[in-house]
Amino acid sequence: MTHDLGFWTLQTLNALQLSMLLFLLSIGLTVIFGLMHFVNLAHGALYALGAYFAATIASTAGFWVALLVAPLGVAVVGMALYGGLISRMRKSGPMAQVLVTFGLIFVLLDLTRIFWGDLALAINTPAALSGRVDIFGTGYPAYRLFIIALGLAIFAALALILSRTQIGAMIRAGVDNDAMAACMGINVERLFFIVFCVGCALAGLAGAVAAPLLSVTPGMGLEILIPTLIVIVIGGLGSLKGAIAGSLIYGFVQTFGAVLLPGVASILIYALLAAVLLLKPVGLFPAKG
Amino acid sequence: MFRHTPLRYAALIILFSGAVFTAFTAGYFGMEILTEILILAILVLALDLVAGFGGMVSLAHGALMGLGAYAFVALATKGGLDPWVAASAAIAITAGTGWIIGAICARSHGIYFIMATLAFGQMGYSFFFERPFFGGDDGMVGPGRFDLSFIGVDLNDGRSFALFSLALLGLVYLIAVATLRSGLGRSLTGVMHNEKRMRALGLTVWRVKADVFGISGAMAGLAGVLAAQHILFISPNLLHWTVSGEALVVVILGGLGTLVGPLIGAVAFVVLKHELSHVTTYWHLIVGLVLIAVVMSRANGIFGFIEARFGPKTDRVIQSIQTREDAEEAVKDA
Repeated sequence: MTHDLGFWTLQTLNALQLSMLLFLLSIGLTVIFGLMHFVNLAHGALYALGAYFAATIASTAGFWVALLVAPLGVAVVGMALYGGLISRMRKSGPMAQVLVTFGLIFVLLDLTRIFWGDLALAINTPAALSGRVDIFGTGYPAYRLFIIALGLAIFAALALILSRTQIGAMIRAGVDNDAMAACMGINVERLFFIVFCVGCALAGLAGAVAAPLLSVTPGMGLEILIPTLIVIVIGGLGSLKGAIAGSLIYGFVQTFGAVLLPGVASILIYALLAAVLLLKPVGLFPAKG
Repeated sequence: MFRHTPLRYAALIILFSGAVFTAFTAGYFGMEILTEILILAILVLALDLVAGFGGMVSLAHGALMGLGAYAFVALATKGGLDPWVAASAAIAITAGTGWIIGAICARSHGIYFIMATLAFGQMGYSFFFERPFFGGDDGMVGPGRFDLSFIGVDLNDGRSFALFSLALLGLVYLIAVATLRSGLGRSLTGVMHNEKRMRALGLTVWRVKADVFGISGAMAGLAGVLAAQHILFISPNLLHWTVSGEALVVVILGGLGTLVGPLIGAVAFVVLKHELSHVTTYWHLIVGLVLIAVVMSRANGIFGFIEARFGPKTDRVIQSIQTREDAEEAVKDA
């Protein structure tokens, strides 16, 4: 089967789709870390929240409304978290941050169970994307292609914003040296707030697009957290390049590992992470040299 | 260096007599909870040794414990070894694995150290999850408990097993104290406070970290062997990173870098978990809120709070708070 073009097309598309989903999650986490030096383990829980919002809204207002509103809802939750917890934890060490956000995982996990119950929810793929598209003679679900396109579009938009706009320049300055950026008259605190909310919204968006693909369960945030962390550590913290590179590496290693080397597939990615940490302890493309 | 203040002695005596009292008065269920606390206490002592005194916040300790359990069960049931030999071999394996993980991660700091240990832990989880030889996700049935009939003790009795675990916990505590008071332990504290200075003084920093991680790994392995004998069944879930996360929660809840605090944390965590799960299925919510409150209060856990409040206002108390701040500072700097 490995000599068949269809096989390679299919697996490449699968890998790309997984990569793009992880990219949406990891970009928010990595920029928040790069800018604020804040370790947010609850990022996965926000993704789960996005999926739940989407599932609820989609059942009444349809998928496309859900895709727009769910990220906004998660961003609002992110604002509340920022005001209540995160802004106070900024000055503490990573250990305290890891623990507070670990506690937050517990809290958000049980809150979703209280509001939505333990049973998995499912939402249908929108009618416009429910078919298959023919690529090199292989039928591929249109919805998965939509995820790939969405991920690439977000990547392009973020790349443009970061490299070409004033706010992008301010963010890059903040990642480089936040104290100096503040001295140059940039309102770093407001910048942090905006980036945090956008990161949360992207996590919510990832949850909303993943919802029709996977079933929506309280544990989905915990499941995606480790892959996301692996992506940002392999890629290097704080950089867009690192997030996209890490996502692609993870997506392809995971997908092709599972079909070509099923015996060692699950260990492969962790071994890769260990190797990267050994050879380049700060990841492949860290924001700061 | 680790010192015993009168307050720490008092806490130890209360904890010890509480455990003995419970062992002789509790019913079947109480005995199970007591044993669960004692095994968790061994694991969190191992974690406090590296995290509280070496600044090495490990998310691999659950996996080390699980590895100990798997090695013990596999050697005893599939390898046909005597349980004592199997247990010793399992502890040696976890000590070696801990040493290797410590040596590899010694160069990483802060969030990278946490991630690196997480990677090794999850690697172990996936390994046992995928291997049909080790029962895959079904787990394995343990070989039963140690045979202590030569001194007239039957460990299949819940009380005997609880007291046996208590004795081993005491032993682990003494080893931890002895390690911290040795040259190795003092070097470790030095490394935590200022790694560059210790390197400039001629210390081989990675060796110190790896050696202590190995000792800690052996302790986690012992906890795994006991856990396998306690519930007589093991599954890959023992190695999952959330086990390590919970162990870290217990250490923080009790008081990082105090050795006594994590013991109190283990009691508080297990009792809280069991009491709350009677009342509500959402006990994680309350544990999460308590954890956030404890960390936000900036006190060093329950015991750190007691020490700061009731302990003599000597430099010792200040030192213990200082140690925590230094640890966080060190992690942040890196």
